[in-house]
Amino acid sequence: MTTSKVTVHPSAVSVAVPPGRQADLALVERCRAGELTAFEELYRAHSGRLYSVACRMLGNTADAEDLLQEIFLAAHRKLDSFRGDSALGTWLYRLATNQCLDYLRSRAARSNQLTGTLDDEPGLADPSSRALGERAVTRMDLERAVAQLPEGCRAAFVLHDVEGLEHREVAEVLGIAEGTSKSQVHKARLRLRTLLGR
Amino acid sequence: MKTNMECARYLEAIHELADGVLGPIRRAELQLHLDACDACRALADDLVRLRSLTTSLDRPSPPDRVWLQIAGRLRQEGRVTAPVTATGRAGRQAALFAIAAGLVVAVGASLVLLGPGFRASRQPGPLAGAPSQGNAATSDAVQSVETEFRLAEQHYQNAITKLEQAAKSEEGAFDAQTAAMLQKNLQVIDQAIAESRAALRTEPQSAPARDSLFDALKRKVVMLQDTIAVMNEMRKGDSAGAAQLIEGINKS
Repeated sequence: MTTSKVTVHPSAVSVAVPPGRQADLALVERCRAGELTAFEELYRAHSGRLYSVACRMLGNTADAEDLLQEIFLAAHRKLDSFRGDSALGTWLYRLATNQCLDYLRSRAARSNQLTGTLDDEPGLADPSSRALGERAVTRMDLERAVAQLPEGCRAAFVLHDVEGLEHREVAEVLGIAEGTSKSQVHKARLRLRTLLGR
Repeated sequence: MKTNMECARYLEAIHELADGVLGPIRRAELQLHLDACDACRALADDLVRLRSLTTSLDRPSPPDRVWLQIAGRLRQEGRVTAPVTATGRAGRQAALFAIAAGLVVAVGASLVLLGPGFRASRQPGPLAGAPSQGNAATSDAVQSVETEFRLAEQHYQNAITKLEQAAKSEEGAFDAQTAAMLQKNLQVIDQAIAESRAALRTEPQSAPARDSLFDALKRKVVMLQDTIAVMNEMRKGDSAGAAQLIEGINKS
């Protein structure tokens, strides 16, 4: 793979980055310099994906809208920590997912909710695991069911199955092993099958 | 008859089949199992259907006002620089008046939605539907919900106070007519807040009344944020940005 040396920030050392990252780094450098139009460019390029993740993680558009603001304000504050080690999109996904998880945990703590675990996920022999073919499942049914998933596997499911990230990328975003990403997505699907088959 | 343990061996392959990444050799092996196992065949069919449904989900777009609010906050905090275009005072005031008129339409729509009867539950968007997992069966839980409600109300009230202070510090940006119209908009929302609180005094545990109060409080926060964002846009001479904001408000 071809790499090149790019100085990304006065305080940073020169690092080798893939060519595809150079545009990200150039944009980030303009944002760091306080250019609003550059940050708007960054927002336009990534806000759709992050809003989609926030909607599905939080289960409603009103909270997602509020959190999207916080995600981009936090991104602007943390631009100094972006070194181009990962793609800008991955860095933003990580930031957004962490904000969503923090928000969900805070909301659960405030309302004394018990967060679900997947220790009791349905298996093949579970009588409640009925075939979906027996009923018409709509996208709205699926949205509601996704909102009921435990937060950990919901994040992996949304990133992999909805957003189309590879397990390797999901693992990078969530700070977990690739095998754990697979396991979480598989558990989420089985849980969804049960929820939608009821 | 297949055993559950034997089926478990094929579980990962079934997921890979649904993902479309299962290689031909393992696929052929899985197919032999699926031909003999109704449970796994049903699972494979379901996962393929689920995968297809998932990939067809819409990607919602954030409203335009989100960017304007982000830009407004970045400017307020002095974290960005933006070219300031000088515009004539008369033109600026005319634009502000049009903006204020737009806000009136938005408030009117808000009141239609709020109404005197209050909605049974809050449905903020098409993705609503996350279940409430609070346990209202015990008095502890009721107390917890009550505390949570008060904290949330205080949170909104604090935000409103801060936003009102920020808006007040900038009120010179508007001419008297525009300022009066904005004030009237806020008074209309305040009336909705007062009505919700009156309903809560009558029925303190009423979930619809609480939802209505939060809706009204949230609308006030959004209205104040939008007013400040409009001030920011007008201060930098960006009438187009302000108009975009109004469009976002009217869509919401």
